[in-house]
Amino acid sequence: MATPSRTLLSELPADHEFSPPPFDLTREYLDAYVSATRDTSTVYHEAGLAPPLAVAARALGALLAVVELPSGSLHTGQEIEMRAGVPTSAKLTLSGRIAQRSKRAGLIITVLQFDVTVDNETEPALTGRTTVLMPQESRA
Amino acid sequence: MTAPAVASVTKQLSREQVSEYADASDDHNPIHIDEAFAAASPLGGTIAHGMLVLATISEMMGASLGEAWLKGGRLKIRFKAPAKTADTVTASATAQKSADVEVFRYAVECRNQNGEVLISGTAQVPASG
Repeated sequence: MATPSRTLLSELPADHEFSPPPFDLTREYLDAYVSATRDTSTVYHEAGLAPPLAVAARALGALLAVVELPSGSLHTGQEIEMRAGVPTSAKLTLSGRIAQRSKRAGLIITVLQFDVTVDNETEPALTGRTTVLMPQESRA
Repeated sequence: MTAPAVASVTKQLSREQVSEYADASDDHNPIHIDEAFAAASPLGGTIAHGMLVLATISEMMGASLGEAWLKGGRLKIRFKAPAKTADTVTASATAQKSADVEVFRYAVECRNQNGEVLISGTAQVPASG
């Protein structure tokens, strides 16, 4: 039996809520991230906090893992707001939804919003909004 | 109130680094790592992940502003052009005057070695630190 295709990101409607995917920041991930970005800043170790872009990249990856990006998709914009630091050792919850979806000139523009919340906190420690521009009706 | 100066950061990208980032972020889109695929694409060659280039801006802000960036920074950018995997990218921040005494505001950007703007946008951080 053929494996069902994943839903295209471009097909998800506005206000679609993603099922909370498994999400964590392992020591291995953070080490690999800092090494790959050649980030020599010492502030993360001194503060015991994760690099904000490490959190955002991990969150975005976790949400996009459950959908399929159409061929020719472009990541055109990114917003990140750090409302508190994200401790490297914290248990975290990720939530995501389609904040906006519009069509223009044969293209679909989707804004994916995500929140990363530290366990036992009520407000997100980090939020992000990712704008993706996609062609209509195309599979990778 | 004028925001304090932020020192620019320059990075030399490489195919190896982009491959490492692909593994770390689990983003193995062939446009980043498959030379043959990318060569046949309109981009003509592999490009770095946008979030990898953007990390240079966050590193720059964190290096100059410390925990204030990690705990209260805001970043809003547009990706203007892709970075090739061998590009040298420079992130810079220009302090903006603001009547709001509670935040420092910056225009931020990232350019390649040819001066082409890859990323542009704004950043802000709480003035209270």
